[in-house]
Amino acid sequence: MSAGAAASGRRHAGVAIASLLVVLVLCFPLIVLVGVSLNAGPRQVFPPEGLSLRWYLNVFDRDGFRRALQFSLALATLSTATALVVGVLAGIAIVRHRFPGRDVLLTALMSPLVVPQVVVGMAFLMALSALRIHSSLLGMFVMHTILVMPYTVRLVVSSLTRFRISLEEAARSLGASPARAFRLVTLPIIRPGMFAAGVFAFVSSFENFTATQFLVWERTTLPIEIYGYVQTENDPTAAAISTMVIIVTAVLTLALNRYIGVDAFARR
Amino acid sequence: MRAGQQSRLRLATLIAPGTLLVAAFFGCLGVLFVQSFLPSAGMGRLGDGFTLASYAAFLGDPFYVGYLLRSIAIAVYTTAIVLVLGYVVAYHMTLCGRRMRLAISIVLLVQFFTSFVIRTYAVMLVLGRFGIANRTLQAIGLTDEPLRLLFNEFAVATGIVLTAVPYMVFPIYGSLMAIEPNLRAAAESLGATRRRIFWEVVFPLSLPGVAAAVVIVFLFALTSYIAPGLLGGGYFDMIANLIYDKAVNAQDYPFAAAAAVVSVATTLVLVYLMQKGFRLAIRGTER
Repeated sequence: MSAGAAASGRRHAGVAIASLLVVLVLCFPLIVLVGVSLNAGPRQVFPPEGLSLRWYLNVFDRDGFRRALQFSLALATLSTATALVVGVLAGIAIVRHRFPGRDVLLTALMSPLVVPQVVVGMAFLMALSALRIHSSLLGMFVMHTILVMPYTVRLVVSSLTRFRISLEEAARSLGASPARAFRLVTLPIIRPGMFAAGVFAFVSSFENFTATQFLVWERTTLPIEIYGYVQTENDPTAAAISTMVIIVTAVLTLALNRYIGVDAFARR
Repeated sequence: MRAGQQSRLRLATLIAPGTLLVAAFFGCLGVLFVQSFLPSAGMGRLGDGFTLASYAAFLGDPFYVGYLLRSIAIAVYTTAIVLVLGYVVAYHMTLCGRRMRLAISIVLLVQFFTSFVIRTYAVMLVLGRFGIANRTLQAIGLTDEPLRLLFNEFAVATGIVLTAVPYMVFPIYGSLMAIEPNLRAAAESLGATRRRIFWEVVFPLSLPGVAAAVVIVFLFALTSYIAPGLLGGGYFDMIANLIYDKAVNAQDYPFAAAAAVVSVATTLVLVYLMQKGFRLAIRGTER
């Protein structure tokens, strides 16, 4: 067996080398980014000229980054929570009920994924200005909720489809109220799907740039702030805040792997 | 009767929030569509009446249509490059051990989840005037002066390719994993060479995943905003940059809306043709 595995390993050495090279090339810019953030000097060079954490401290001295980070976190939390509730409700209706327009509703709920971001952002800008709404905050919340909703709907639908309704009916027949049956039986079963959906939704709201940039006249988000900073400034502060975001992302990814397994995700 | 009413009420409550958001979404898109037919009065103001002037202004000017054609061209060849790179990684993931597969998945997922702005900025750091690419080229004596690797088509294409690979890998990996393992073993026991097994068994059966991934990456590349914005630096704008610029900087909503409608329509036609082509190819392999 192990001889066979070794033989197959040898036979596919070309594929393995090419693939690892691709993965390395993909990682390389992020390695450079981390290196740049650790520079002691003011230039964005790699390898760093001396090591220091001064640019990390600088992030917190800059009001722009701090306020943008706070706003991005609030926006992503709020839109994810809303999209999860909407996704669970709509997902239950779509999986459990037969009603006219069911497929249309599912397609419509998934459609924000296929409309180009620049079109979504511009449509919201035009609608706000047509309605003479001067604040962009509500519009931004609604837009982010719509943009992340496909992830919650899809994952809730797929975890509900695999779950047999007879379990919940058994709980009902044993005297549980519908709400209680849902909370004690259905919810625990779809929880991993909801967790994954929440991570996807949160990340895609947090990282959204192209649609969001149309609505930032009141508050900006972190990607907008970083984009503006790297276009005008030339020091490693943006690399420092980016590195912090990547570290948090990596932790989230590992948590996702612990909880549902990335292999299961990749196969989905 | 009462039970029927109750269940209808329950259903209405379940779908109301989703329907409301969908309505808001399509309402906004409707506003955009309608405004593409209004005359522009400049400075974000709109006139009354119906006109095709914005469509004529966009379609009649090779300068503007050039943005769309350039975006399609770059999307076609970056998708092809990403397909090759992504397929190699996905195929390797089906052959390697569990630990290696997990490591690659996690690397790709971290990329997948990291903001485009950050990943594109990272590419900018590599390609910049004092970036590692230029310093390496100088150190090994290939060039005396820093090359202009940034702010041109090469930089934009590199950025798109590097950010899109994870989108290609996962769907292909999914369809490769769905292939019955015995098929490969059967082909092998019948004496087929490795190359033949790949081209006549594995690759055709992975086509559904390839089709899905190619459409995703093509759409992603065609509508890129951040890669041309940061790596093109205004010297290589794509269609999304033109639309943003016309809407926000020039405040010409009807023109921006018309450009968006034309681009989305073109994209839909291209994606339809692509899917049709893939369907034919998949049917061809089933013979």
